[in-house]
Amino acid sequence: MTLSNEALAAMVRPDSVHKHVYTDPEIFALEMERIYGQAWIYVGHESQVKKTGDYHTTRIGDQDVIMVRAADGKVHVVYNRCPHKGAKVVPEGDGCTGKFFRCPYHAWTFKLDGSHLSLPLKNGLEGTCYDPANPDFSMKAVARVDSYRGFVFASQSAAGPDLKTFLGGVASSIDNLCERSPVGEVEVAGGTFRVMQKSNWKVFYENLHDTMHARVTHESSFVAAREEAKEIGEMPFELLIMDGNGEPYEFWEKLELRAYHNGHGYMEGIFDPTAATRDPVSRDHFAVLTEAYGEEKARQIMGMNRHNTIIYGSGSPHTVFQQFRVIRPVSVDRTMIEIQTFRLKGAPDAVFDRALTYANLINSPSSNVMPDDVEVYKRCQEGNQTRGGDWVSLHRYLGTDQETPDGMVSTNGTSELPMRNQFAAWKQYMLNPPTQATPNQTASTEAGHAAA
Amino acid sequence: MQLLDRSFDVSTVPVAGATLSAEALRGVEQFLYREARLLDERRFAEWLALWTEDGRYWVPRFHDQANPFEQISLFWEDKMLREVRVRRVENARNWSQQPLTRSAHLVGNITIEGLDAAGHLIVRSTLQLTEWRIEQRQLAGAVFHKLVATDDGDWKIVLKRVNLVNCDDVFANLEVFI
Repeated sequence: MTLSNEALAAMVRPDSVHKHVYTDPEIFALEMERIYGQAWIYVGHESQVKKTGDYHTTRIGDQDVIMVRAADGKVHVVYNRCPHKGAKVVPEGDGCTGKFFRCPYHAWTFKLDGSHLSLPLKNGLEGTCYDPANPDFSMKAVARVDSYRGFVFASQSAAGPDLKTFLGGVASSIDNLCERSPVGEVEVAGGTFRVMQKSNWKVFYENLHDTMHARVTHESSFVAAREEAKEIGEMPFELLIMDGNGEPYEFWEKLELRAYHNGHGYMEGIFDPTAATRDPVSRDHFAVLTEAYGEEKARQIMGMNRHNTIIYGSGSPHTVFQQFRVIRPVSVDRTMIEIQTFRLKGAPDAVFDRALTYANLINSPSSNVMPDDVEVYKRCQEGNQTRGGDWVSLHRYLGTDQETPDGMVSTNGTSELPMRNQFAAWKQYMLNPPTQATPNQTASTEAGHAAA
Repeated sequence: MQLLDRSFDVSTVPVAGATLSAEALRGVEQFLYREARLLDERRFAEWLALWTEDGRYWVPRFHDQANPFEQISLFWEDKMLREVRVRRVENARNWSQQPLTRSAHLVGNITIEGLDAAGHLIVRSTLQLTEWRIEQRQLAGAVFHKLVATDDGDWKIVLKRVNLVNCDDVFANLEVFI
């Protein structure tokens, strides 16, 4: 039974959501079709597939896909499935498949855009509808692929807004991340972490702009950092990045939360004119950017002091420390986070050192900060399985959000505007299924096939 | 010393041989067993005291990872960061340590590899680690210790490198030292 639109609509109130959105496997399955089957989803960065044949496997919702570089330099995204028996053509991970894909089961081969190349003993298919041009004999490409400044996104729906329109106001976070390089380019470097959370994927999105949790959930780590700093008599970068969560409520209240269509948004510290010159690493970085862009623009770039950006469905880029936490739903109560770190091409090495340290200390599985997050997400998942109540509150500063030409802005940094905005997008997706056949149910060209 | 100071010698490949008496070898083995036991019993203050001032604890993210400077690591910790980790897991509001992570380290196959360029003793062992926190987790790998002799005939850790068999896996949180 599929949930009716009426039932789905009733789960999102202006000030709260029904707990089943986090716990019901049927809703999760619908999300895979209606959100991940439509939205532009980040599959990876072009720098992960530098040469012809380089591939990177990942998932768009519940779909295994391959991002691959073709001979003409184009990046393609195809489902990881051989059209013969259905075997996954490449194993999980990164690799190079050479000039073409070759299925390990019966040696069917495919060009790097997935189209059929050949198969052994073709005469055995004489008199059938076999034809290299028949799409039923090719690996299927994901409906749309586009790249924004090297960040590759794919959409399983042929219809819908283009990537730039879809990203709206958060494209400026990707711009800022790239502009922190004097040549305007970044590359994934240093490896990626993968961390499993025992909670629904939406819980993590909500937490990214949940400023009210910082000094409560993270007390163990910010207190540890402060105690250590006191003992050694200084607060080096490694401790400073753990200390921030301990800021008092007044600090968080002053931050600005921006919300855009499709569930996106970012958390902005007020423009920080000192960011460019605060420490030796920043000063060196600023000097390189000044040479490339001029002083005023360089100051602007480094002063854009955004914390987490949210690209709903894809994850969370962090511009200042060059990370991208890619959020992959696994099941209704499992979410895998892929943490990418970027090198700013042409920037001083010390800037990458800082990104690496930030990844190791904040985003890695061994982070001192994240375990307390992961613990409370799991407690939400488990608490919402009880009969102790049906609704999850999003009340904070309801009714005070202000419209801007391209979205909304909070009047207070502790507002639950980001969560309300995410669920507005959720409702929009869930009530409007993709119009064409869903990827799993693509109508075959029946006419071409022999009757049973 | 800075965390990413490239001059720190992370190599566990010996540049010279080392010959230990049976008694000295036994001392090294007992040191490794004691280190494991301090972790299992969560006697972290005593465990922290086993290290040299600039000692490093390293769990690479990749097989055969050359260094912790160009790539991410599951752990790369100096004295300050080891102390922070202990302070965090011992904080009363450590939500993710309620209940605590319990562990049993099984250390075996201890071999003396030789000496590094600075004359530190390189010792290899195999680790089987069972962890429990709400559910059980198995970790395993090869451990390299670089040790320096102390004046009182004991040892201190200059480097502990843990090569996990599944270093490239998807992980739940790694909260305590391996």
